[in-house]
Amino acid sequence: MEGYFSYTAELFDPSKVNEKPEVLKGIRVLDFTHVIFGPTVSRIMGNYGAEVIKLELPFYGDLWRPATYWGRYWKHSNPIWHFVTQNKYFVSVDLKRPEAQDLIYRMAKTSDVVVENFAPGTAEAWGVGYSSISKVNPNIIYLSCSTYGQYGPMRYFPGWDLLAQAASGVLSLNGYPGTDKYFKLPDYLGDFVPGNMGTLVVLMALYYRNKTGKGQYLDLSQTDSMMRSLPHFAYYSVTGETLGRTGHSDPAMIAASIFKTRDKKFLALACATERQFEGLCSAMGKEDLLRDRRFTDYLEGLKEENAEALRKIAADWVKSQDSGVIIKLANSKGFAAAEVVDDKMICYDSWRRERGSVILFNDEMYGEIALAGPSARLSKTPGRTKWLARPVGYHNRLVLKKFLGMSEEEIQELEKKKIIGTYDDKPGLKPPVYYNLDEDPIYNYGREVKEKK
Amino acid sequence: MRLFKKKGKEVAYTRYSAAAASLSVWKEIVERLMTPEGRPEVLEDVMVLDASYANFSGIIAASFLAEFGAEVIKIEPPEGDPSRKMTPFGKNVKGVGIPFMVEGRNKRYMTLDLKNSEKDRKDFAKLAQKATVVIETFPAGEMDSWGIGYRQIVEKNPGLIYIAITPYGQYTEKAREFVNLPDSDITVQAGSGLAAQIGDPITEPEPYNWPLKAGMWMGWYVTGLSAALGGTMALVYRQSTGEGQMIDVASMDAYSSMTGFPASIGYTWENARPRIGVLDFILYPYGHWKCKDGYVAIAAPRDHDFRALIKILGMWGRTGEFESDWRYTSDRIPDILDQAMILHRAIEEKTMMYTSDELVKKALNYARKAARSKWRGGGVPIIMKVMTPDKTMENKQWEIRKSFKEVEDETVGKYVITSGFVKMSESPPQVKWVSCDIGKDNEYIRTKYLQQQ
Repeated sequence: MEGYFSYTAELFDPSKVNEKPEVLKGIRVLDFTHVIFGPTVSRIMGNYGAEVIKLELPFYGDLWRPATYWGRYWKHSNPIWHFVTQNKYFVSVDLKRPEAQDLIYRMAKTSDVVVENFAPGTAEAWGVGYSSISKVNPNIIYLSCSTYGQYGPMRYFPGWDLLAQAASGVLSLNGYPGTDKYFKLPDYLGDFVPGNMGTLVVLMALYYRNKTGKGQYLDLSQTDSMMRSLPHFAYYSVTGETLGRTGHSDPAMIAASIFKTRDKKFLALACATERQFEGLCSAMGKEDLLRDRRFTDYLEGLKEENAEALRKIAADWVKSQDSGVIIKLANSKGFAAAEVVDDKMICYDSWRRERGSVILFNDEMYGEIALAGPSARLSKTPGRTKWLARPVGYHNRLVLKKFLGMSEEEIQELEKKKIIGTYDDKPGLKPPVYYNLDEDPIYNYGREVKEKK
Repeated sequence: MRLFKKKGKEVAYTRYSAAAASLSVWKEIVERLMTPEGRPEVLEDVMVLDASYANFSGIIAASFLAEFGAEVIKIEPPEGDPSRKMTPFGKNVKGVGIPFMVEGRNKRYMTLDLKNSEKDRKDFAKLAQKATVVIETFPAGEMDSWGIGYRQIVEKNPGLIYIAITPYGQYTEKAREFVNLPDSDITVQAGSGLAAQIGDPITEPEPYNWPLKAGMWMGWYVTGLSAALGGTMALVYRQSTGEGQMIDVASMDAYSSMTGFPASIGYTWENARPRIGVLDFILYPYGHWKCKDGYVAIAAPRDHDFRALIKILGMWGRTGEFESDWRYTSDRIPDILDQAMILHRAIEEKTMMYTSDELVKKALNYARKAARSKWRGGGVPIIMKVMTPDKTMENKQWEIRKSFKEVEDETVGKYVITSGFVKMSESPPQVKWVSCDIGKDNEYIRTKYLQQQ
């Protein structure tokens, strides 16, 4: 056992992440996305080495840039935006202008993937839809993200994460039975879950293209994606009953609920097997329950009245114990238990830091911030953060010169016509006040810059 | 003048023909999206061994790969995986729980007693040599101690992708200390930061002010999706290099790593967010309201969307009361909860006067007119009926998109599941069959993979 943990410690060593190869090196993503759903698709690709060119409207930028929690900025930027749009090249082009199309097609020619999440029909109307892009690059993988999908009677309905939660049935399920108290899933989960699915399906298309040479068109709806997580449809078709809301409890597992401990902490408990139930009974000192006919069989124990009785017993026990004691017992007796953790606990948990689940990232423009690490840890090709979000149009020169071979004169011409541009003087769009862009060699790519003092 | 007109016509004609050309491409694409049956499968060359035990995140990860055409073999002990019995209120068909039926898509079932039988472990090792992906959820190091962990299999199968899912991962002191702690959905929701963000504010009466759980297995879905995404990333790397790798998924990262908010907010605020009930931290209005015949979700967060909403609800301009009341003239950042709730209730008074259909129509009509008007500034108030899952199933949109599928298993009969969460023009995911009998494919697998050549 000792040998195993030193083996894995070396295999996943967080300090070696940046030395390891990147899966998507050389893959270029043209990113027309905004807000969270679409940007998450390309952000994850960027974490694994893809070159993501994010296109924004000049001077306005992405709608989500100024959208901060409770209106609180961090160094004139949106702290959560740094997680959502890390590792991207920020190019600012006015897509609606016909002159911009030429630029887009040139970028599309050398791209592997296009991602967009405009309202369905918009990309086609602007001449950057699949039918146009596939003409200049027939093997492109083109992902359209929307709330209800690209076809069907609801395709033109506008939507956000909330509407996908409402239309899929997810919104109606988080709350208390027999009351009208219920809640949406927090933090735009209706964007993040479909966003991760988006990356998954783009990778599938990439895998297919590597084998056959063929690109394709992908239509991902966030309502479809949220529906994928519900067993409620099958439940309804089998039993003829709706499952409804179940409060703090999970009706599918034994003794599964959130309880309050003696030291006023909240704690979740559950037993996944009959064996784990034995562990819980022994921890509670209630071995007699193992002979109680209501609980001896797992399926029997899940029946509503039996489950209710058992949860009452568990709640009384948890109320009499401190959280730390229960967690220790769970580990030694073998049943599932975890304390409810909040933002601060997650940010400062030492094991998350040690593991790389929360990293302190040091950015050249913004300095230090805590970021979440990747959801899955890959031993040979781990995901990583290279830079945070940047002001609107920050990489204009770098991308147009380096990737498209344009000259300074051509770029200035585009700037004069306002086909490309940078940021308005607004928080979320502009650099931090202490930062002097004139001294920045990336912003001024291919131009002389003053030496940094 | 004449010349100008003619020129205008020509431009119009060119635009029209371009639109017609792209429309014909578009029609062809949609036809392909609508007929996924019989198209090529992305992962037809991939064999997956799913040895997950009493843990749905592994089963869900395997499902994603199976939908894209991988041959997924579920390995379970002769008495069956305990996951079979995890089902809401114990509802089952012939001993098989509903979540297990839902995830039984395109899978093969084989019995091997990895815990107790040396001989079965040898068979597993032989299978693993031919596998592309192994998924397991045993305590960290347990498979290794049985001689069938990543370390041992990779010696003979360097292309192997080995996905291990546990609460705290495969390395760090914490992982070692809590190696025997089992996994469950509710503990993942609590321990990765989801539960802390759902529920009423602390000022409300108990138990409504407790942290709440999502009404579906969101903890396990996020974990399973993350594992499938990591695995697919590794498959792409394997495709170009022939090399496999190990993937470590800690379910206690699930929520915090997918959204990234807890780490960055914990750091920049130096504090945890409270629970704010039905409100949203960034957007207002962005939630659900009671109406005559149920509930509607309303999103009208931008200023012009908000004004549009207020107008269609008849709150603007008639009496002047709304405009002159200082309580409504704030910036709508809901950091003063009491004030936000005043507006919340004012809106509810109005929504109660209409049915959900009336409200949805009002919003759509306004958005349609606003798009054409130069005065209305394009306000788009979005209103959607809050569906319960049984109502979602009746929606025409999903019928046309074939998002639900009635499937039939010879043992448990007919039931409805979601299918094809993404539509792809070349290689879409598919549900080819469902099955769930223990050891159903023992013979098939032994003949195909274990016979001496």
